[in-house]
Amino acid sequence: MSRHDFDVIGKDQKRKDGPKKVKGEHEFADDIQFPMMLHGRIKRSDIGHARIISIDTSKAEALAGVKAVLVGSEAPIKYGIVPQMPTEYALAYQKVRFYGEPVAAVAAVDAETAEKALDLIEIEYEALPVYTTPEQALADGAVKIHEDNKFPGNIAYESDQNFGDVDEAFKNSHYVLGKVFKTSYVNHVFMEPHCAISKFDTNGELFIWSTTQIPHYLHNHLSKVLQMDMNKIHVKVTGVGGAFGGKGEVSNNELISALLARKAGRPVKVLYSRKDVFLQHRGRHPIEMRVKVGVDKEGMITGIDYDGTMDGGSYGGWGLVILFYTAAMLHLPYNVKNVRFNARRIYTNKPTCGAMRGLGGVQPRFALESLLDQIAIDIGMSPYELKKKNAIGFSHETVSGQVVRHSEFRKCLDQAVENSGYLEKHGNLPFGKGIGLAGGYYISGTAYTLYMAYKPHSSAMIRVDNESGVTVYCGATDIGQGSDTVLGMMAAEKFGLPFETIHVVSGDTSLAPFDLGTFASRVTVAAGSAVCKAADNVLKKLKPVAAIQLGVSPEQLEARHGKFYSVFEKSREIDFWKVVEKYIDAHGPLTATGDYTPPRRTGDFKGANIGHSPTYGFSAQCTEVEVDVETGEVRVIRVTEAGDCGQPINPVSVEGQVEGSIIMGMGQALYEELKVGKDGRLLNPSLHDYKIPTAADIPELKTTFVDSYDPESPFGAKEAGEGPIQPVIPAIFNAVYDAIGVRFTEMPITPEKVLKALDEKKKQEGIRS
Amino acid sequence: MHCEPFEYEKPVSLREFESLYAARADDARILAGGTDLMVLIKEKLLAPRLLIDISDLHELRGISWDPRQGLTIMAGTKIAEIERSTLVKEHAPALAYAAANLGSNQVRWMATMAGNICHASPAAETPPVLLAHDCELIIGRQGGERTLPISRFFLSYRKTALESGEYVKAFRLPPLPARAAVAYRFKGLRRAMEIDMLNIGAYLELCEDGQTVSDVRLAMGSVGPTTYRAAVTEKKLKGMPIGEDFFAAACGGVVQEATPIDDVRASAEYRNRVIGVLTRRALEECLEIIGARRSAA
Ligand SMILES: Cc1cc2nc3c(=O)[nH]c(=O)nc-3n(C[C@H](O)[C@H](O)[C@H](O)COP(=O)(O)OP(=O)(O)OC[C@H]3O[C@@H](n4cnc5c(N)ncnc54)[C@H](O)[C@@H]3O)c2cc1C
Repeated sequence: MSRHDFDVIGKDQKRKDGPKKVKGEHEFADDIQFPMMLHGRIKRSDIGHARIISIDTSKAEALAGVKAVLVGSEAPIKYGIVPQMPTEYALAYQKVRFYGEPVAAVAAVDAETAEKALDLIEIEYEALPVYTTPEQALADGAVKIHEDNKFPGNIAYESDQNFGDVDEAFKNSHYVLGKVFKTSYVNHVFMEPHCAISKFDTNGELFIWSTTQIPHYLHNHLSKVLQMDMNKIHVKVTGVGGAFGGKGEVSNNELISALLARKAGRPVKVLYSRKDVFLQHRGRHPIEMRVKVGVDKEGMITGIDYDGTMDGGSYGGWGLVILFYTAAMLHLPYNVKNVRFNARRIYTNKPTCGAMRGLGGVQPRFALESLLDQIAIDIGMSPYELKKKNAIGFSHETVSGQVVRHSEFRKCLDQAVENSGYLEKHGNLPFGKGIGLAGGYYISGTAYTLYMAYKPHSSAMIRVDNESGVTVYCGATDIGQGSDTVLGMMAAEKFGLPFETIHVVSGDTSLAPFDLGTFASRVTVAAGSAVCKAADNVLKKLKPVAAIQLGVSPEQLEARHGKFYSVFEKSREIDFWKVVEKYIDAHGPLTATGDYTPPRRTGDFKGANIGHSPTYGFSAQCTEVEVDVETGEVRVIRVTEAGDCGQPINPVSVEGQVEGSIIMGMGQALYEELKVGKDGRLLNPSLHDYKIPTAADIPELKTTFVDSYDPESPFGAKEAGEGPIQPVIPAIFNAVYDAIGVRFTEMPITPEKVLKALDEKKKQEGIRS
Repeated sequence: MHCEPFEYEKPVSLREFESLYAARADDARILAGGTDLMVLIKEKLLAPRLLIDISDLHELRGISWDPRQGLTIMAGTKIAEIERSTLVKEHAPALAYAAANLGSNQVRWMATMAGNICHASPAAETPPVLLAHDCELIIGRQGGERTLPISRFFLSYRKTALESGEYVKAFRLPPLPARAAVAYRFKGLRRAMEIDMLNIGAYLELCEDGQTVSDVRLAMGSVGPTTYRAAVTEKKLKGMPIGEDFFAAACGGVVQEATPIDDVRASAEYRNRVIGVLTRRALEECLEIIGARRSAA
C-alpha cells in the first residue's frame, strides 16, 4: 500500500466515545453500582512525618452502618511501579511520610457514614521532623524518611553519566552559558478523580473496575498485596476521564477498595475527592537544574553539563525511571557529542511526584531551550538558525546509543518559523510583545519493560465472523487519548472496511491479551503494530479462500472497499463477508493474533535502557506573548506549532493532543503551583486555589503536521501525546524574554515576578547608564 | 460530603418567608444560590439549623427602570440575568460587566447579587460597582423595610449591617447624571473563574465644562477587610481639572488608602502597586465613556 493511499488512516474519524461522553452515557468508574455496595473512605494523617504509635478504630467500628475498618498492618506488603524498589503500602504501616497519607479506611453503607466514622478513628503519632524541600532533607543529621533506603540520607537514587569530555569541550568553546533553572510542583489535574470498585464473588475471585492507565500493573500489584493468584483477579478498565500519567501507578484507593471488599464481604467503591487526587499526586518533579551549554563560533553545540536535584516527595513511584529519562533527554533533538549528567532524586515529606505527560523531558527541555535561545542572542545569531544547525538529521545515533530511525525535526523548525513569521517578528516587536521558539521531542514507547521479561510488550487478537463482525481485542488502554479509535482505524484500513464496523475490546485483563499499559506514548506504535500483525494474519487466512473463488493467486489480492479484488484486474472481486462466510464454513472460527516487541539494542548502556525507543516524535513551536508591564500579566496570544508524529492516524485526535499539551504546558508556565506549608500540608489542594487555564485563557492555536512517515511504524505513525508539550514552556519563556528582556528561569511566571524583574532590570540599566 | 444535618424550607410567598425568618432568625440562614453558603457548610465553617430557600419567591426577582428612581434589581435576581439584562447594559454597563466576570456560567445561573454582598467577601465582584454607583439597599424584615446606602453596609470582614431578621430585598441604582460614568477593573491570575487579587469600581462625574471633576467615587476590593471607598482621595479629587495631576493624585491616593495583606493570591506589595494602575485604567475608561456619549449626543 503506498503511503498516502489510505481510505481510513489520516482521515478525521469521529470517536465512538465522543457522543457518549457528551450525553453522559459513557460509563466511568463512579457510574458503576452494585447491590449491597459499600462506600469506602480514607482517614489521612494530619502530620507530615511521624511514627504511628497506635490506631484505635473501636469507635468507628461501633458506628451503625460501618461494615469494615482497615489499617496498614493488615496489608504490610510493599509495592511500587518499579518492582525492584517497592516503597509503598496500601495504608501507612508503622510510619507516615507526608501530611495526608492514608492511614486507615472505612467501608460503610454510604459515604456520609464512612466519613463520620473517619472522625472516630484515633491515631497517636510520634512526630518526626518534616522536610518539605530537598535542601532540608539533605541537611546533616536529617532523619531518614525511608529507613531501609540503600542510598545515603534521603537520596532516593542518584546517577552520574558521562559521555565524551565536557570539560575539554567547554575549554575549547567559543561561548559557554550556564544558569540555574527551577521547575514547580504541579499536578496533572485530569478531570475524573480516581475511583475503583472491587467485588469478590463467592468463589473468591476478585473483580475490580478502575480508572487506570495500567491494568497489567494493577493486576500484578493486587496479586502481590492481597496475596492472591493473578488468575483469580480480573481487572476491568472503565471509562477514563484523563490520566496524563497520574493513573500510571497503582493508586491507594484501588488496593484499599479490594482489601475492604475482602474484609466486608461486599462490593466496595472508593472514590477520591479532588483533594484526595492532589494527595495521591504523582505530578511533575520540581527540579533544580544547573545547566551549562557550550557552543563554537558557528553556534554548534560543544557540550552539555547538567546537574539536577529532583524533589521526589515521599515515595519511590516512577522516580527512578524519570531520573534516567532526564538523562536521556539531554541527547536530543540536537546533535551533542559531550554530555555530562549528575542527578539525584530526594525524598521529602510531600505527596509523591511521578509520571506526568512528557515525563523527564519537560524540565531539561525548559533549561536547554532557554539556554540555546540566550546563547544565540548573545552570539548574535537567530535562535532559529542555531537550533536548525544543531538539529539532528533524518536519522541519528546519540553518544548514549539511542537510535533515532526517523526524524523530521528540521522540517518542524522550518514550518513553525515560517507559519508564525518568527524571523520577521523576533527582536522586532514593540516592548511588551514577544515571540519565542522552542523545539522538542519524545519517545514513542520504551524499548524495555520495567521488570525483566522477554514477552511481547503488546498483543492483540482479532476475531471475525458474520454475526458480530470484526472485533479487535487488545490490552491497550484508552484513557481518553483515543487509542480505541486508532486501533480500530488500523484494523479497518487493513480489512478495507469502514471504521464504524470495527469493535474494539480493550483494557480488560480477562478478555484482552496482554499489553503493558498506556504510558511512554507507546500505544499507537506498540499496540498498533500488534493489531496490524493480527490483521495481516487474518488476511493470510482469508486471501487463499478468496483466491480460489476468483481464480487468482492470493498475493494479487487486496482488501478494500468491503471487497477482495485482484490488483491487476479490479473486476475480479468478491465481497469481504462472503469470503469470511466461506472460510468459517470450511475451517471454523476465524481468529488470529499479533504481537509487538520493540527492537532490542545490544551493548552496555549507562542509565539502564531508559530512553531507548523504537521511534521518536518531534515538535517545534513559536509562541507569541503580550506582557502588561504595569500589572505584570503575561498573556499567550498565539502558538504556532509544527509536529512530526509520522503519519497522523486520526488527525483530529492528534490536534486534540497538541492543543491539550499546549494548554497544559501554558498552565505550568504561568499559573500552576502546589503550595506546601511548613508542616507539609498542601495549601491549595482544590481547583479553586490551584489554577489551571480556563477557556478564556486559551490562545489562538495554529497546529500543523509536517510531511512525515516512519516506514517501520504501523502506517508510518509515531507519538503525538507527549512530544508537543516539550517546547511549550521554553517557547513561552523565550517569548517573554523577547517581549521585556527578562530571562526567567523559574516557573511559573506570575505577575508579581514580572513586576519585580522589571524593577530589577530598570535598576541595572540605571546603574549601567 | 458529610455535613451537619439541617432543616430546609422553601417558602412560596414573601409573607411566608418573612414570618418564618423572623421566627427563626437566630439559627436560620437564607439560601439564595447557595454558591457561597453551601461551600461554607461543606467545609464545616458554618452549621445552620435551618436553610430558607428564597429561590421560589417571585416578589424577589426582576429588574426594572424608572427615570426618577433609577434601576431596581430585586435581591433574588440571578447574576446571569443581570449580566444579560438590556436595562442593566444600558444604565449600569459596568455592573453587567462585573456580573459577566463572576465565576462560571453555571455559577452565574445559581448566584444572586444579594448573596454576593451578604457573603461580604472583600474580593467579591459586584460590591465595587455598587459602591461606585452609590447604590441604595432596600432592607426588608417582617412588617417593614428601611433603606441604607451601600457605603454603610459592609462593616468588617464578612460582617454586614443587617440586623437579626433583616434581609436584602432590592438594590436601587440612581440614574447616572449626564457627564458621569462608572467603570470596573479587576485583576486575577487567569482570565476567568477567579477570585480577584484586586478590583476597583470607579465613578467619575464632570462639571458642565467637561474639564473639571465634579464628583468621584473609588471603591476598592481585596485591599482591606471589606470593599471600601477611598474617601480621602475622593474628596481631594473633587474640583480638580482632568489631566495628569488628577490621575497621579487618584493613583497615589488609593495606594495611600489601601491596606492590603499578603495572602495566597497576591502579596500586599503587589496589590499596593497595581491598585493604582487599575484605578487609572478605570478612570480613563469613565472618561472615554463620557466622551463617547457627548460626541454621540
Ligand atoms: C465556583 C465558584 C466561583 C465563584 N466565583 C466568584 C467570582 O468570580 N466573584 C465573586 O464575587 N464571587 C464568586 N463566587 C462566590 C459566589 O458565587 C458569589 O458570592 C454569589 O454571588 C453568591 O450568591 P448566592 O446567591 O449563591 O449566595 P448564597 O450562597 O445563597 O448566600 C451567601 C450568603 O448570603 C446570604 N444571603 C443570600 N441572599 C440574601 C438576602 N437576600 N438577604 C440576606 N442575606 C442573604 C446567605 O444567607 C449567605 O450567608 C464563586 C463561587 C463559586 C462556587
